[in-house]
Amino acid sequence: MQSFLIIKQHKTSTFAMMPNKYEITYTAENHYDHWVYDAYWQFLIIPMENQSQFGVEIEFYNSLYANIEYSTNGYGFKTIRIHPKKKFDNISFKANFEFFKKEENPFNFPLDLDIFKGYQMLEKLDFKISFERFLKATQFTQLEKAHETMFIFDPKTSIFDNLQALNHWTFKFIQFKTGVTDVDTLLTEIVLKKQGVCQDFTHLFCALARKNGVPTRYVSGYLNQGSGFFGDSQMHAWAEAYIPEIGWKGFDPTNNILANINHIKVCHGKDYNDCAPLKGVVYSQGKNQTSHTVTVQSQQ
Amino acid sequence: MANIESQIFASYLRNPDLYDELYNREGKISEVYQKLFNLYGEHSISDYINLNSKAKSSFFNQGITFQVYDDKTVQEKIFPFDLFPRIIDANEWEIIEQGSIQRSKALNLFLWDIYHDKKILKDKIVPLDLITSSANYLDQMNGIDPPGGIYNHISGTDIIKHKDGQYYVLEDNIRCPSGVSYVICNRTALKKALFGVFNHYKTHAVTNYAENLLDLLETVKPNGVDVPNCVVITPGMYNSAFYEHSYLAKTMGVELVEGRDLFVENDFVYMKTIKGPEKVDVIYRRIDDQFIDPLEFKPDSSLGVPGLFAAYKKGNVTLANAPGTGVADDKAVYTYMPQIIKYYLNEEPILNNVHTYHCSRPDELKYVLENIQELVIKPVDEAGGYGISIGNRLTTDEIAEVRKVIKDNPRKYVAQPIMSLSVHPTYIDETESFEQRHVDLRTFTVLGKDKEFVLKGGLTRVALKRGNLIVNSSQGGGSKDTWVLKK
Repeated sequence: MQSFLIIKQHKTSTFAMMPNKYEITYTAENHYDHWVYDAYWQFLIIPMENQSQFGVEIEFYNSLYANIEYSTNGYGFKTIRIHPKKKFDNISFKANFEFFKKEENPFNFPLDLDIFKGYQMLEKLDFKISFERFLKATQFTQLEKAHETMFIFDPKTSIFDNLQALNHWTFKFIQFKTGVTDVDTLLTEIVLKKQGVCQDFTHLFCALARKNGVPTRYVSGYLNQGSGFFGDSQMHAWAEAYIPEIGWKGFDPTNNILANINHIKVCHGKDYNDCAPLKGVVYSQGKNQTSHTVTVQSQQ
Repeated sequence: MANIESQIFASYLRNPDLYDELYNREGKISEVYQKLFNLYGEHSISDYINLNSKAKSSFFNQGITFQVYDDKTVQEKIFPFDLFPRIIDANEWEIIEQGSIQRSKALNLFLWDIYHDKKILKDKIVPLDLITSSANYLDQMNGIDPPGGIYNHISGTDIIKHKDGQYYVLEDNIRCPSGVSYVICNRTALKKALFGVFNHYKTHAVTNYAENLLDLLETVKPNGVDVPNCVVITPGMYNSAFYEHSYLAKTMGVELVEGRDLFVENDFVYMKTIKGPEKVDVIYRRIDDQFIDPLEFKPDSSLGVPGLFAAYKKGNVTLANAPGTGVADDKAVYTYMPQIIKYYLNEEPILNNVHTYHCSRPDELKYVLENIQELVIKPVDEAGGYGISIGNRLTTDEIAEVRKVIKDNPRKYVAQPIMSLSVHPTYIDETESFEQRHVDLRTFTVLGKDKEFVLKGGLTRVALKRGNLIVNSSQGGGSKDTWVLKK
């Protein structure tokens, strides 16, 4: 499977708070050595609608002209599903999304919040029950016991400040390098190698924030990386942490920044498993060559 | 009479420490068994051997077999059947039936709660940890309203009679409990072999299970469906309970399908037929949660149907049992059953629970580690009797090993006092005579929308090895026809 991704940003206004128009193109191609008699694909690639992203328009094409179905995954995020009704050995997909994205001030919360009260909230049973899904360790956010205390929050500073510090710490701890890890690499290995990609940064951030009692979720989406081409980059991943009295805030440990207008969210989950952009069930006897190449382009 | 007794039960040895259901407290043949005892006494042991071998071959000929998994081999076996039935009188049955319904309803309310408001956790009746650390808790089920509000449509409740004469529940099986086909086959086999004995007792029929199951499944059809199309989905002919899957489909008069026979389009489920696609509304699934939909759960599963969970989430198809019920048949949840019943139904439990020690609690862990000899150690998330250690059967080395295993992962284990299962006269091939063997009982409860049904019978399982307490078929157990008498 080869897939390509193009992100275009049309600046429509000089006012910072006016929405920008985005265009994302995602293409993928698949070749099989033998006939495939039955297959299902599910794409989790549509930008979600939320306060800062809206007016999403979708165009989807596949070379077999198989029926395109829109559905949701187990957590309610929109999916595209394809189930060709005839045999094939070649299929390509093309998706085009157009939408608006608005800049949001990441510091849009009162700065004089009681620090102690925030930590008290984290300890409450009702809070832990409401957020249990984003507090537990999962397959990809499981640390070895000895590593669970690699980053301990300083109770004298706010949860937000600690999360920013963790963001910075994670950015420093892992060296960005492709080809060292893959989608199945677990944290225990990443902690030793100290190299990886956005998925690995995000898993480590989630694991340590959760160990400090802060509900944290894995976010899958697109990153507009500015003008020019950035080779060998896939869909992006970052994290959102829930801060009492403030709400969910996005942290991008791969780039040591807060999530901003360039972070286009598709979905969130406990870890990568809940967010895999493409899942396929292919009933075929032969092999297929699977390689992902994603190109990100931005245009202002 | 003495003469008869000397014939067939002449060599029957009674261990005074065990509770033998054939006898009453005074040591006489119990009233409900008296007629049966006399009737069987009229036969010689050679008649009995002859009947027994005929019954066995009839099971083989009908293909009523299952597979035993162990480390080395896979074998096809018949579930050994004993010709001496177990009898439960109407009053005792009343308790078992009401108790089974009570537990099933309480578990259903528990499941609704933990996949919605989680009040029982907030009220600190059940610890949060029990849910978050359970491998069978399905996040995806949060906020989903299953059709008719039912999660555990089919429950198998494992009950024993202790030496105090009281019934205790050992386990609630609410994932894909199996065994009901044996109940019906055992009755058929006994009728074939010894039809005459049924004339002397007013016994409830068990053959009405399938029609009641179908009836109740139809009450939980998706909204907007008039006459639901039901199917049974099986992992396939290599599954240990395949006979049962095909039996239930046949007797309910519905299609038996595998994953590849179904497909999902626009969030509706269809069956491939020679006349074209046919919509499916209710699926009695005998496939575990993790295998039902490769797009949502285990991606390498070829047993399920891609897109099935999305169709379920939309309310376009009913799955029985609902996904995620496994969290409530965790053996650690079992230990909270008395509190769960009280919390949701405001009733006292009708059936007893066996006292359970949680190895996850430090003080109880200490007790368990010090008293392994007197306890049964069970992993919380295994079914089929795998991984159970019975303390008084272990050598010193084995005890040390069990201690280590528990210490490494205390959350995974619970311990219970060794219960003394009642015994029942059972014909043993090797000695060609009747001997005492431990038995339990699995009841089958079906919940529908505002309706419920308990099969008046149940599967009496027999531990065929002398002294063995584990009755699961996968551990070399057998079974008996179980008669529930009419009032």
